[in-house]
Amino acid sequence: MIDISALGAALHILGSSWQPWMVVVPGILIGLFVHAVPGLTTSMALAVCLPLIPYMDFLQALIFMTAMYAGALFGVAIPAVLLNVPGSAAAVGTTFDGFPMAQAGRHNEALGIALAASCFGQFVAYLLLLVLVQPISAFAIRLGPPEMLVIAVWGMTLIARLRGRHLARGLLAGAFGLLLGTVGLSVRGAPRGTFGIDLLLDGIAIVPAIVGLFAASELFNLVGRDYIIDDLTHRKVSAGRILAGMRDTFRYPGTLFRGALLGAVVGILPGGHAIANLLSYSEARRAAKDPESFGTGDPRGIIAAEAANASSEGGSMATLLALGIPTGGATAVMLVAFGMHNITGGPAFMRDHTDIVYAVILSSLAQVGILALIGFGFIFVAGFVVKVRLSVLVPVVLATAVIGSFALAQNMAGPITLGVFAVIGWLMQRFDYPVSAVVVGLLLGRLTEGALLRTYQMSGGELEFLLTRPIALVMLFLLVVSVALPHIRPGRIKRVTTH
Amino acid sequence: MARIPALPVFRIAGRRVAVDVAHLAFATGIVGWCVWFGLDAWQSQADVENLIMIVPAAIAALAFYVAILVGCFRVVGREDDAVSQRAPLRAGMGAKIAGTMALLIAYVVTGPWIGFDVTSFGYILAMLLFLGERRWLVLLLVPTLFCVLAVYCFGTILGTPLPLLLVPDFGS
Repeated sequence: MIDISALGAALHILGSSWQPWMVVVPGILIGLFVHAVPGLTTSMALAVCLPLIPYMDFLQALIFMTAMYAGALFGVAIPAVLLNVPGSAAAVGTTFDGFPMAQAGRHNEALGIALAASCFGQFVAYLLLLVLVQPISAFAIRLGPPEMLVIAVWGMTLIARLRGRHLARGLLAGAFGLLLGTVGLSVRGAPRGTFGIDLLLDGIAIVPAIVGLFAASELFNLVGRDYIIDDLTHRKVSAGRILAGMRDTFRYPGTLFRGALLGAVVGILPGGHAIANLLSYSEARRAAKDPESFGTGDPRGIIAAEAANASSEGGSMATLLALGIPTGGATAVMLVAFGMHNITGGPAFMRDHTDIVYAVILSSLAQVGILALIGFGFIFVAGFVVKVRLSVLVPVVLATAVIGSFALAQNMAGPITLGVFAVIGWLMQRFDYPVSAVVVGLLLGRLTEGALLRTYQMSGGELEFLLTRPIALVMLFLLVVSVALPHIRPGRIKRVTTH
Repeated sequence: MARIPALPVFRIAGRRVAVDVAHLAFATGIVGWCVWFGLDAWQSQADVENLIMIVPAAIAALAFYVAILVGCFRVVGREDDAVSQRAPLRAGMGAKIAGTMALLIAYVVTGPWIGFDVTSFGYILAMLLFLGERRWLVLLLVPTLFCVLAVYCFGTILGTPLPLLLVPDFGS
């Protein structure tokens, strides 16, 4: 599975010159800083750095961008844990347990857990990529709309699990989110729910909407308080406790491995990167003996979300390198960088530049260690957020989010979306509707509709079509098992105990 | 001290029924949008390709709403039983949250029109004052530092110029 001679060549390239390594630290730092600003995205950071790419050689450029990507993937967790503001869709799952931990004065541990899980996820993904890059490319090409539909439906089962105390309210929130996700032009060019506003033709700006929904839920409620953490003794920033959090991560190897593997597989698919954290969170919750502790500050929630989010990078890179297909905004910008060096990703690239592919993978494995060190220092500084008075923090965070959302959309749609969803988010929280169910719906709406439509067109409405898709059938079986198992298990356990 | 809000009580079919009007209005607003969206999509293009997910989701939303609707009406015995199930807001919190929302909406609407330099300064200053900050150094430094850093970072480092009033060409 591994081309040994190409691997040797890759080691030689990386070991004979310090130049490729020079860009790793700046790349990771840029990624971390950009995602400290709610609303800014990895693809935006990569795009901003594109003018630098022609001045680097191809390998250096790839390493620079993967370093930035790696930094950004962890960076999104910092505002998610400290402020309940996910920097992007990829950090939504982290907020569920990260912010409750921060509010309970366990922000050091939460950030340590996020960092360790992120580093572990990236390491596993790149290790898998190193061994399986060629089989993965063969597998990825066989995944189509029916398989994507099953994955989207799998993601939607999370809505039922995020229902909170009232099932009907959770499901209504999920349906509302799904419909919001389909606002804009249909595949056949029909405008839907746009109120005649041109800015809505592209749909609702997802990142400002998510920032609005989450920021509102907590920041509006925080205005009456002095600090995020009420108890003065819990407001300490402690390197020891960050390290303890990092150590604690490895007390849950099952959650960690499951998250990393799930993220790597889902990351292969277009749009998979955004939902990997949610799927993994959902599966960790399903597999837990005490699922009710999720959402209240359970470390396993952060581990599952972060490990999957980080490992999805490896999956995305597999598709990019092996097939030349971007799976999201960040890898699309990377593909532009390929073009700047007159190189096209895909099977030919894999065949002709195997040494470069291995060099990128090996350097990414090394980046994990560097990210652990830099990330530790970064979260130590970021942890001081809990010491800032909320009367200063709330307006500064909200203003940064508004400006970030304008920069992202480059028009009024960004800030206005944020403002409208901020109010909706607070009202939902007030009436006990799970905001996260709307976010899941919003993220999956367009994806599910597209996959459903293409599956319908491919099958001509015939269910037998599914029999010709063995991968989809296996995934469907696993989905049914994962949904049914929690309902079957208690009954069986009870019967066994009775006997 | 937070006061538990009382729900209005109506006499329906000879029974005293407490109605959670605020929740009812909110749920009706959400489902009203869902139904309107379904109809708008239908009017825009009435074919399977356009409605394959929208119509089932809108119908599902309507069904969930019916379940919620039932919960908004509660038969009560005495007047004292007609209390809201929601956790009450602390005293003064309602006004603070409404004020924060109003300032945010004003900021998102005026920022792109007037310029983020002036409106960001005004928004942060207004929020600081609204949230009880009275130290003049903080009132001056925080908005100024924020505006300078935001304009500089977005305009030069990130290369995404913002609409500005005082230095309109900065970063472009």
